[in-house]
Amino acid sequence: MNLSIYAKPVTPRIVLRPALATVLLHALVIYLLTANWSSSEERILKPKPAPKVINATLVDAGQLAPKPEPKPEPKPEPKPEPKPEPKPEPKPVPKPVPKPVPKPEPKPEPKPEPKPAPKPEPKPAPKPAPKPEPKPAPKPEPPRPTQQELAEAARQEAARKAAAEQAARAAAASAELAASYASLIQQTVERRWSRPPSARNGMEVLLSIQLIPTGEVVSVSVLRSSGDTAFDRSAIAAVERAGNFPELKNLPPREFEQNFRRFRLLFRPEDLRY
Amino acid sequence: MEAQLSIIDLIFEAGFTVQLVMLTLLLASMASWYMIVQRFIYFRNGREEMFEFEERFWSGIDLSQLYREGNERAADGRIIVGMESIFRAGFKEFSRLAKQSEMDSEAVIEGSRRAMRVAMLREEERLEKHLSFLASVGSTSPYIGLFGTVWGIMNSFRGLANATQATLATVAPGISEALVATAMGLFAAIPAVLAYNRFASRMDMFLNRYDTFVDEFSSILYRQAYALRARDRKAG
Repeated sequence: MNLSIYAKPVTPRIVLRPALATVLLHALVIYLLTANWSSSEERILKPKPAPKVINATLVDAGQLAPKPEPKPEPKPEPKPEPKPEPKPEPKPVPKPVPKPVPKPEPKPEPKPEPKPAPKPEPKPAPKPAPKPEPKPAPKPEPPRPTQQELAEAARQEAARKAAAEQAARAAAASAELAASYASLIQQTVERRWSRPPSARNGMEVLLSIQLIPTGEVVSVSVLRSSGDTAFDRSAIAAVERAGNFPELKNLPPREFEQNFRRFRLLFRPEDLRY
Repeated sequence: MEAQLSIIDLIFEAGFTVQLVMLTLLLASMASWYMIVQRFIYFRNGREEMFEFEERFWSGIDLSQLYREGNERAADGRIIVGMESIFRAGFKEFSRLAKQSEMDSEAVIEGSRRAMRVAMLREEERLEKHLSFLASVGSTSPYIGLFGTVWGIMNSFRGLANATQATLATVAPGISEALVATAMGLFAAIPAVLAYNRFASRMDMFLNRYDTFVDEFSSILYRQAYALRARDRKAG
């Protein structure tokens, strides 16, 4: 003890509290960081739905991706037994639904309908139905080839269904996209339209507008005149004043060629009071 | 995927080098925080003990009594640090030298002063333990983080070279990933620098106090040594 000063310096051991404090602090920081991050991320994502265009593409891409996965599942199940049933049943269900519906551009309809249709139906339908039928039918005739054929048919069926569904979905998406861009163009032109005093309710002028992919207006022509030249000219002037629609640059080229390379715009002063 | 881009995901998806950098920084941060808290407790205790001891020392108590109290405490297994250990070193040396009658008073004082100087250097060593680590964490961890970031960004741009269409979305995750390393570097560095500065100034305060105490105590010892030698001469 007397030599303590000249011996190896002894320091009081302070270990437990600093270690505890360190671990706690880092745990707290990590927790706070992760919590804050996810909540702020949500806040950023919420405004995204506001522009319709982005919303439509994002939603469809997300739904198209997982679709192929659930489809393979019904395939192996119907293989052993179900042959006559799946053919007539699924066909009428998905095909009539998406084809006529998506073109007029309703977002809510194609989404809820195709989903429940393919999933619950192939599963419950084959199970009760095939039991009575396969026994009398396949036994007299060679059962093996028919089963394989059935499996293949079912697979093709599923593939066709998937393709149809995807096509319907894509069509709906593109229609949605086109509609949103069309309304964008309409708003832009409308803002620049100053109507002549001769404009009356019920007047209509149909313009044909030609665009290039950068969104610039190449030419404007009157397809159907309203009969009033001043009114016609005001409509043409509105489009020319708008000049270009830079938003169209974001549109995929295929959509552009389909809908906007040459399109029609109808001018009708409905809000006029006289 | 985009909706749940959390920091944890970023860290786990980062490249090997960046992950290594992050791990280093995490360890540096943990070690520096450990030392910060440890130093904080040590300095706080040291301050309290120093004030307590000063009060007792100037209360007019007999110095050999004070020394014996310290002996008892040391026998209990408590480590005596700070001002008291300086006092004990000086006093022990003084009493040892004063017993040898051939030593004159100057030599006795000189010897005890030297013992106190040594004890003070020990104290300084104790005080500044870990401080150099804090200093180096504070000065290097931003660079380490920056290295991770530069590396990560380099890689994410290199991956971009093959892509025909370069959008922000293709680079953004990589850059964000890489920037986490800088953030961690700063997270480790800022407290370390602050703590280092604070502890360094605290240490200066302690050392000044000790210096003053050494001077005060040696003036007391002077008085005692001369009185002792004068008595010896009268007796002798």
